[in-house]
Order: sequence, then structure tokens, then C-alpha cells
Amino acid sequence: MTASSPGAPSGTGRRLLGLLTPRPSGWQTPAATAVAVVAALALSSALITLTGGSPSASVQALFEGSMADWTAWTSTLLYTAPLLLVAVGACVSARSGSFNIGQEGQVLIGALAAAWVGLRLAINGPALLVIMLLAAALAAGAWAGLSSLMHRLRGVNVVVSTMLMTFVAQQVVAYAVNMPWLLQESRVGNAPVSPQSNPLPPSGLLGSFGEYPGLQINGGLILAVAAAVLAAVAITRTPWGFRLTMLGRNPLAAKHAGVRVNALGGLALAISGALAGLAGAVLLASPVGVNRLQPGMAMNIGWDGLLVALVARNRPLAAMPVALLFGVLRSGGGFLAATGVPSFLVDVVKALLVLAFVAPPVVVALARRRRSGGRPAGARREAAPAAEEAIA
Amino acid sequence: MTTVDERARELTPPSTPALRLRGVSKRYGPVVASDNVDLDVNHGEIHGLLGENGAGKSTLMKILLGLVQRDSGTIMRGDTPVAVRDPQDAVALGIGMVHQHFSLIDALTVWENVILGDTGRIDRAAACRQVEEVSRRYGLPIDPTARVERLSAGERQRVELIKCLRRDPSVLILDEPTSVLTQAESAELFTVLRHVVRAENRAVILISHKLAEITAATDRVTVLRKGKVVFHSPTGDTTPPELARWMVGRDVSLRAEGAALGMLPVDGAAPSGDPPAQTTAESPSGAEAEAVTPAETTAEPAAGAGSGIAPALRLRDLTVVIDGVTVLSELSLDVAPGEIVGLYGVEGNGQSTLGDLLSGLVLPSSGTVELTGRPVELERPGALHRAGLGIIPEDRHSSGVVLDMSVAENLVMKSIGDVSGRGFVSRRKMHAVARRLAAEFNIVAPSLDAPVRSLSGGNQQRVVLARELSAGPSVLVAAQPTHGLDVGAIEDMYQRLRDAASEGVAVLLISTELEEVMALASRIAVICSGRITGVLPAAEATAERLGMLVGGVAA
Repeated sequence: MTASSPGAPSGTGRRLLGLLTPRPSGWQTPAATAVAVVAALALSSALITLTGGSPSASVQALFEGSMADWTAWTSTLLYTAPLLLVAVGACVSARSGSFNIGQEGQVLIGALAAAWVGLRLAINGPALLVIMLLAAALAAGAWAGLSSLMHRLRGVNVVVSTMLMTFVAQQVVAYAVNMPWLLQESRVGNAPVSPQSNPLPPSGLLGSFGEYPGLQINGGLILAVAAAVLAAVAITRTPWGFRLTMLGRNPLAAKHAGVRVNALGGLALAISGALAGLAGAVLLASPVGVNRLQPGMAMNIGWDGLLVALVARNRPLAAMPVALLFGVLRSGGGFLAATGVPSFLVDVVKALLVLAFVAPPVVVALARRRRSGGRPAGARREAAPAAEEAIA
Repeated sequence: MTTVDERARELTPPSTPALRLRGVSKRYGPVVASDNVDLDVNHGEIHGLLGENGAGKSTLMKILLGLVQRDSGTIMRGDTPVAVRDPQDAVALGIGMVHQHFSLIDALTVWENVILGDTGRIDRAAACRQVEEVSRRYGLPIDPTARVERLSAGERQRVELIKCLRRDPSVLILDEPTSVLTQAESAELFTVLRHVVRAENRAVILISHKLAEITAATDRVTVLRKGKVVFHSPTGDTTPPELARWMVGRDVSLRAEGAALGMLPVDGAAPSGDPPAQTTAESPSGAEAEAVTPAETTAEPAAGAGSGIAPALRLRDLTVVIDGVTVLSELSLDVAPGEIVGLYGVEGNGQSTLGDLLSGLVLPSSGTVELTGRPVELERPGALHRAGLGIIPEDRHSSGVVLDMSVAENLVMKSIGDVSGRGFVSRRKMHAVARRLAAEFNIVAPSLDAPVRSLSGGNQQRVVLARELSAGPSVLVAAQPTHGLDVGAIEDMYQRLRDAASEGVAVLLISTELEEVMALASRIAVICSGRITGVLPAAEATAERLGMLVGGVAA
């Protein structure tokens, strides 16, 4: 665009955001997406065949591991909950124009805070769980807020700092589970001690509705769905969401209209961190894992949740089915290994699907731009001042 | 460095022009940026190129530098026609330019910036030596190892000069070189330029709109207007008032009358009595050569149409410093209720910054803004809006509208609280407000939910105007409000501004278009280098007086 905002923090990032956020568009985008998904699936089966597997057997395995019976569904939903929490947070920050990509670390920080509260504070009854969740949200929110602070004080790029803070978070958690005075498990007799915490007390675990072998809905999923609905309402229906959207779409105009840009941008980043932290607490307290703090417990949930938001194009409600799909791929992926297909192929399939969803809108937008003569549709009338500038 | 040029220069007698342009023309669509321009630039001389915005100065220089291809005409070195197809050709011809906006990389050091673009091995010591050598030869003291980001504007200018002089150009072009310099720095620059032409017999083209600079520093002067050479003379044979008249050109009082009658200036209508190119020292039509005394022009604020009424907008000693450059310097201006004050000046003299300041995007380092007698706490977000200031920002895309939000949303952008109840935005209320405003301001949109991006420029501008006026402001600031609009939209905008003023709104019109200012304003304040150089009633504005003020004379 000829009239790009000079004061915008990162032009490229914002343009990218512009392409990735929902915008009323015609039939081209859905059509292109359908084509791309079919192509991704075709490519996936080709890959499976090439590596010596059978596509139909693979689909069968994926299905059996994720949806064939209630147990499979339960496992799928256990993965869906933290994915959705992370994705909703990513939606909020992306809507405000700051890209938080450090959820993987924020998940760990959330889990660390929850584990510390659960294991080190003498709280009884249901209050413990509530305080664990709060601590996780606060700690991870503050962790993400640090990036906002770094940006304001020293101009550090938020994308870079949130990502790099992930590696710091991993070291912090590794330290915590290696230090007996912090969170390392207690020594029992002469048995070797592992780098992990003690298991949480029963009062620190998230309960489920439903009984094995029926469908079990864990409290984490309820939390995640509530967060998604709340975020959707807040973003699309409240003055706060209006300002957030304005900030994301045009920070200068937002500032001009009286939005406290720094405060709101920092808050959005902290919220996304807090939701990632909640995801960490859910990973810790729900039966998806072993209910101990372990350095590897984030299991790429942070990165995958980010992909969920990307595919959902930063819409919290759209993130719900997408998170479910990713949950299916996760729980089915484990099963797939049994059929002889290398389990990393699931990651390849996931990547192809993400591309199939993310690429078409961008391609359509770029094609439109090219057709309108190198300028976005709205910039046509600028031809005249552009010519004037050339003379001046 | 190269000695070919040096030898060539020694062999060329000073009387032969270093550079000759014959009939150079360039069009951008319907706009003629360069119209049959003839220009001779001599060795051993500083040649001043004077003109307003859009006069075609920059285009001409871009042609010389090979950045833009001319449509027709000849460029000659001495008597030989040469091709300038790209910047490399220009360098080979010995043409070097110091651009108005520095092209230095902040994070690099001086010597790194100087050798940027060279090929071959990087030799730090040799580069530093060279920088020091050039800096000693021309008296441009600089530390080659300093980081550019730490340098003042004057020092950056020195680096640009060193970068250019190192290539030993025979023709040196400077585009508005003093726009970011202090008085002392400017003086120093001109001393260097003197040396460059006198001692080394180079040719210098100095592009400027500042009359004092042109008269003090140049040997010859050429005035461009609308792409044409309208005047050409040895500097000693002309006077600042004469140059001012040629630069502004139009018979401005006639325009003001036309505006009073409700006639709009017609774009493209050539000012009557344009003398042919290359006339020398012949007085232009109509205007008499009287000198403007400072006492006449630095009229008291609010001494014009709105005298006796307390000003609705009062700017007091506003100073803004950005990256060490003083962009606004103790700027003071009053606008009374019901009057339109035009702030006129050549682009890049601080108008944009004033607009940003009044949009709440920039904070002054000193000075105050008062609205209806009350000082505004500028650091509070939205304070100006709440205090009753509406603004049509200069670049509507950057701060006026959010292109990807709907028409309705853009219309209530600043009053989202008013269309919300119990914590939620009421779509119904928002649409009701938007429907009313769209009807009142004739906003043509596919729907109120269509993104503003899909609207034409004129309708986007109406969205901004509707939003700002709907808040019932006591002051309306319109910065370049008709930039890029078609004739119908311009007419509509003018009418809206007049209506606002007649309803008692104080209107500050910031514009670089003289026609626009003359058509609307009852008082004209002229800005040059971030200060108000004079305020005069529109009726008393002549081409000469405005030209002098725009050129920074009588400050």
C-alpha cells in the first residue's frame, strides 16, 4: 500500500495479520480451501504408501484411536481441552496485533505454578484446585506480560521474545524438578530420584463427568469451552473487544481514538499467556498425563494450539472444532504407530492440513491484489496522490 | 578515486555548462511533471532551483539521476548528448545527489555507511582514512567510527555529503538540504558548497523553497512551476519579492474573490499570463514589487476575522523534537469560533507533525494546546477528542479509519461507549447512529457492514468527517482534507467545512494547496521550518507576500 502507517511496530507482521484474520470474502476462499484439503489428504496417502503403509489401514487406525469408542473419545477430548485453551489465548493476542508464539513455555510455567501450589501449599478441599488454576493463569500471564514489558522498555520484538522465553521456561522447569528444595520428588529409601515432582494430591486433580468405559468429560474441557465462548463474546460484542480489534487492525487509529494502546496490547498478551498457563494446569491436573510436573509435559501442546488458532483464523468459536480435529490427530496418532506407519507421519499430515487451511485465504487475497494492479482493492483511489508525490 | 572526471574538469573551461537539459518532459498519466524544461548548470556555480510542492523539482532531479526515465528531451554533458538510463549511468557521469531524507543506515557506523554499495574487499582502515581525508579537505569534521544513530541531523548531513563527495562528482545535487538543519549548520553547509564550486570548479544544484538560502548562496536561479521553467536569472539581478511572485505565481487575490463568490478553483486551468520559459528578470503580470516588512506580516494571532472573541483553539509555543530534529518550534496560533484559518506552507515544514500532535499521536516537548480556554492534558489518550476537537487526519488510512472494520464501526469508533449498554455493544444502536450519519453526510457504501476499504476515497473521507462532526466539536482540524479526492468530493468537503464554520466551529485547515487555503480561509497562517512566519487576512494575501513567508523570509 502506498499509505502504510509509518509508526506501526512491524509492517510485515501487520500485513501478515491482515491476511490471516477473517474478512468478508466471496466463494473463492472456501472453494480453494476444499481443494487444498483434498490435495493435502491425497499427498498424505501418497506419503503413507511410499513409506510402506496402507492409507486405508492408517485412516482406520486414526479412527480407532480417536473416535471408535467412548474410551477413544475420552482420550481425544483430553487433548482437545489444553489445545483449545492455548488457541483461544492465541486468538486474543493476535486480534490485538501482537503475536504471542511462546505458548509452549507459558504452558510449562502454568504447570509449574500449579504444581507448586498443589504440592507445597497446605490447602484442603476444592479450594486447592481453584487456587492452582488461578496461580497457573497468573504466573503464565505475568510470564507473557514480560514480553510486553520488554517491548515497551527496550523495543524488543514480541514475536522473538515470547518465543525465546519458551526456552527459558523449559530451563526453569528443568531446574525446579531437579532441586529437592523446590519440586523434585521425595526420595523413598534408596530408589533413584527422577527429574519430576511428586504426584498431585487427589484434591488437586480435575474431575470428570462420566464413568469408564463410558464417555468422560474432564473439567478441563468445560473450562476450555467456557473460555472460548467468553472470549468470542468479549471480542465481538463488548466495547473492550471493539477496542482490541481496532488496535489489531490499525494501532494508530486506535491511539487516535483514545485507546490506551500499550495497556490494552499488554493485557491481550497477558491474557493469552494466562490461558496457555491454564492449559498447563489442565495438562498437569487432568488424566492426560501422570499428574506430576515433568520437563517434557507440554508435549508441543503450545505449538499445536498456536496452529489451531491459525487454522481457525483467530476466531475462538471456530477454534473449537479445529482443536477437536487436532485432538483426533493426537490421540489417533499414537494408535497409528501400531499399524507400522511411522508416527511422525501424523505430524506431516497435521502440517499439510494446516497449510491447506492457512494458505488458501492468503493466496486468494494475493491473487485479488495482483488483479487490482498491484494494490489492494481499497487503494485504487490513491493513484492520484501517488502521482502528485512523484512530482513533488 | 577516479581521476577521469577531474581531468575532464580541468580541460573544460568554466564557461561551458557542466550539464545541459534541453526540452526535458515527463508525464505521469494526466499530470505533466516536467514540461519542456531547459536548464544549464555551469562549472564553478551554485545553481538554485526554486519551486513549490509539485513544481517538478524532484522529478527533474530523478531524471538526472536515472531514477526516472524522461519521455523526451536531451541531457548533455558539455556538448555531448548522454544517456542516463539508471543510477549507475549517473554515477559514471559524475552526478551525485544528497537526498532530502537521509539514506543512511542508523545501526551502521559512519565509514560503513560511506562505503555502502562499494564492491570488493572491505578495508576498514582504508575506508576510515578516506572519510577523514574527505572530511579534512572540505572541513566536515566527523568521527568515521561513530554510529549514525548517535549523530545529530547536521552530522548526518555531513556524512551524506562525504558519501557523495568521495565519489568526486562534477555535478552535486542537494535536495532541500537545510530542512533539518539549524541556522549554524546551514551556514556551515553553504561554506562547504562555496568551497566545492570555487576551489574545485564543480557544479552544484541547490533545490530549495527558502528564498533567503537561494539569494544568499546561489549564483543563478531557476524557478519551476507546474513542471515548467517560469523564470531564470543570475541571482544578483533578482530580488526575494520577485522570486516569491514567480514561485507562487497565481494571482491569489483573484482566487480569494472567486472563493468568496462560491466559485471553486478549477484544477488544470493555467494561471493567466504565464510568461514563456527562460524569460530573464521580467516582472510577472499584475504584482508590484513592494518589499514586505516583517511588521506587516507577523500579525497578531486572532487579530483577523475573529478579533474580540475568545479563541476556541489556542496553540501556545508548541515545540516538537523528533530524533533530535526540531520539527515544530514554538508554534503559536489561535482559531476563533466560526472562522476558518488556513495553515499554508510547503510540505515537510512541520504540518504533518502538527496534525499528528492534534491527533494525539505525538506529544510536544513543550507548549500547550487549549480548547475553549482550557488546557488539554495531551498525554491522556483521547483527551483532545473529549475536549471537543475533531480532526480529519492528513493520512486517513493511517489514523483516520480502520480499513478492515465496517462503515458503522468506523462511524462510532470514538463513541463506542455511547452505543453500548450494560457492557455490550448494541448493534442496533450502532446501526441507528450509522444510518443517520450516512444519510446526513451522503456516504455511499454497499452496506453499513461493508469494510471501509471497499469505499471510494471521497466516501472514506466522509466517514471521517461524519464521525468527527457528529461529536459536536468546538474545533475542527482538517489536514489536507481533499488529498486524493475527485472534484465532486472536494466540493462537498469545502461546503461541509464552510457549514461547520458558519455553525460556530473553529476550523483549522492545514493545507499545502494554495487554492484550497484561498478558497476557504479568512486568515492565512504560513508555516516554514516548524514556525509560523506570518499570519495575514486572506484579502491581503498576495503571491509575493505569501511567497516570502513560505520562503521563510520575514520570519
